[in-house]
Amino acid sequence: MSVFMPNQDFQSEPGVAAGLDTLIAELYQKSKGEELGLTRQEFDAVLGEIARKYLPADAAHHDIRELYTSLRSEELALARACAAGHEHAWVVFLTRYREKLYDIAGYITKESSTARELADSIYAELYGTTTRDGQRTSKLASYTGRGSLEGWLRTVMVQEHVNRYRRQRRLVSLDEEKEEGSQFATPATEAAIAVDPRVEAATDEVLVALPPEDRYVLASYFLDERTLAEIARTLGVHESTISRKVDKLAKSLRKQILAALGRRGMSRRQAQEALEVDVRDLRVNIRSRLAQEKGGGAFSKKKAEAPADGS
Amino acid sequence: MATVEDHPDPNLLGAFVEKSLAQGEQLRVLEHLSRCTSCREIVSLTATQPGLGDAVSVAPGRAGWLSWPVLRWGAAMACIVVVGTVVTLRQQRESRQIEATILEQKPEKQISALSSPPAKAAEETTTGAAKPTVTRQMARATRPAENHAAAAPSPLEMADAGVGSRFAEVPGRAKAAESQDAQSIKAAGNTAQVETSGAAVVPLVSTNLPPRWTLSSDGTLERSRDSGRSWQTIQVADNTIFRALAANGLEIWVGGAAGALFHSSDAGQHWTQVRPVANGEALGDDIIGVEFADTLHGKVTTSVQGIWITADAGQSWQKQ
Repeated sequence: MSVFMPNQDFQSEPGVAAGLDTLIAELYQKSKGEELGLTRQEFDAVLGEIARKYLPADAAHHDIRELYTSLRSEELALARACAAGHEHAWVVFLTRYREKLYDIAGYITKESSTARELADSIYAELYGTTTRDGQRTSKLASYTGRGSLEGWLRTVMVQEHVNRYRRQRRLVSLDEEKEEGSQFATPATEAAIAVDPRVEAATDEVLVALPPEDRYVLASYFLDERTLAEIARTLGVHESTISRKVDKLAKSLRKQILAALGRRGMSRRQAQEALEVDVRDLRVNIRSRLAQEKGGGAFSKKKAEAPADGS
Repeated sequence: MATVEDHPDPNLLGAFVEKSLAQGEQLRVLEHLSRCTSCREIVSLTATQPGLGDAVSVAPGRAGWLSWPVLRWGAAMACIVVVGTVVTLRQQRESRQIEATILEQKPEKQISALSSPPAKAAEETTTGAAKPTVTRQMARATRPAENHAAAAPSPLEMADAGVGSRFAEVPGRAKAAESQDAQSIKAAGNTAQVETSGAAVVPLVSTNLPPRWTLSSDGTLERSRDSGRSWQTIQVADNTIFRALAANGLEIWVGGAAGALFHSSDAGQHWTQVRPVANGEALGDDIIGVEFADTLHGKVTTSVQGIWITADAGQSWQKQ
């Protein structure tokens, strides 16, 4: 029973260990792991791995309990039973998710042949074509049950699609580049525009102080050029809420930057003039401050790929 | 745990989209997303896929105490509690009003019975007064094990028996009262002298519907508080078979074998045995009919075609 305990100290407390053991027994029963071919020991090992991944070594008992309780135990058992190669589990998985895999791929790629290619590729990874230490490794072994298995599959497929797109962009031929005219494109002039350092500093100060959600909305709307509906759906709120938030943020940012400029020795008139003159430059500034990675377009041309599984 | 420097894995990104992460974790992922274009790209593409609602809706995310679902359910529960409390209080108030009505109808009788000890009452009956005397000993709710003999209950006990013990069925003390009845019956000329004795206090079920009364085939009195859907046996007297019933509002009369005649003036809460005596003759035949046109005027028919009439609610009788 020690594998699911990230903190060795807990093992010395019989009551705590017994409490977790009871919880894990309930989760195992709920997961129907036995029917899928997953043994209790394997299930324990999976939970231990998840606890070590998401919790610090000195995590409190209630944190472990909370984490275990929040897991999608049934889908976790199914994924891990598939990863372990249990045939019945694969039958269940394919029955539930095979069609969905192709549907998701179709939505992401918007093109049937590419969609089939993406789905087949993901399916191969799920089944486990790669080997590690002579063992077949299934991508399903990285599913941890934090969200639904379907949600995880969607994310994995999107990630794979983004990576493919970026690889494809890097491998673009000279002829294609010539056709697109990118070799004759005007070099970026953003850095050439001189901006008052005080404006940059004031903008930095204000942006750093923004709550994460506000920064996310600003970045998604102004940098990624997402629609209000897309941002709203990601955050689980109504489109009008995002619309109001963007409007309010723009006004609030201007006020706060003016105030910050005032603190840096500018008069109000000077601050207003600085903002009016440098509106485009200020936007450039926001872009550089908000974005961790520069690069426009739907998918960044930056060399770093999207985070790989488990990174 | 993923930091701003480390990209969250697909598990966390998928769970973020489904809102199934704990609040702190959700915030940390959002913090990362606000600075990471790549992850924003993935999350945005994942979140905008059709059919995601199914997965999101079943996410076991932890909600804050002030989140809307909690408020909605809390409001619903509060409404239920308020309505339930109002209904309960209203029922209790109506029940008390019924009790008050019952008690108001016979305050004098109760007070006289309560204030005079049984011995004094018996003494009064043996004085041979020309005017008929009526001694009503109101029996109170008591358990068989209790040995309070014929002591009259205190007003507090009466209130308790009338209100507090409405749901407790307890046998009466007919035996204790009978010995006094034997001493107190006395004829006086043509005027009947009636001795009444205490009987059982029957349970009173608190409802708002007017009770219905009936006699079962085996001669027991039954009452219904739910318009006849269910019937409750009312214990009036032990081993007595009743064949005649007259119910008029709160006034209930039941008659049966060997001249057994019982009267309740409080809708069956308390019962008093009435022993009609006319011209020195006590009613001993089986009663087959009881009729009361109003509270005072009644007629009792016996199995031998004897007719006993009262014009004062059973205090004096005449035989025809």
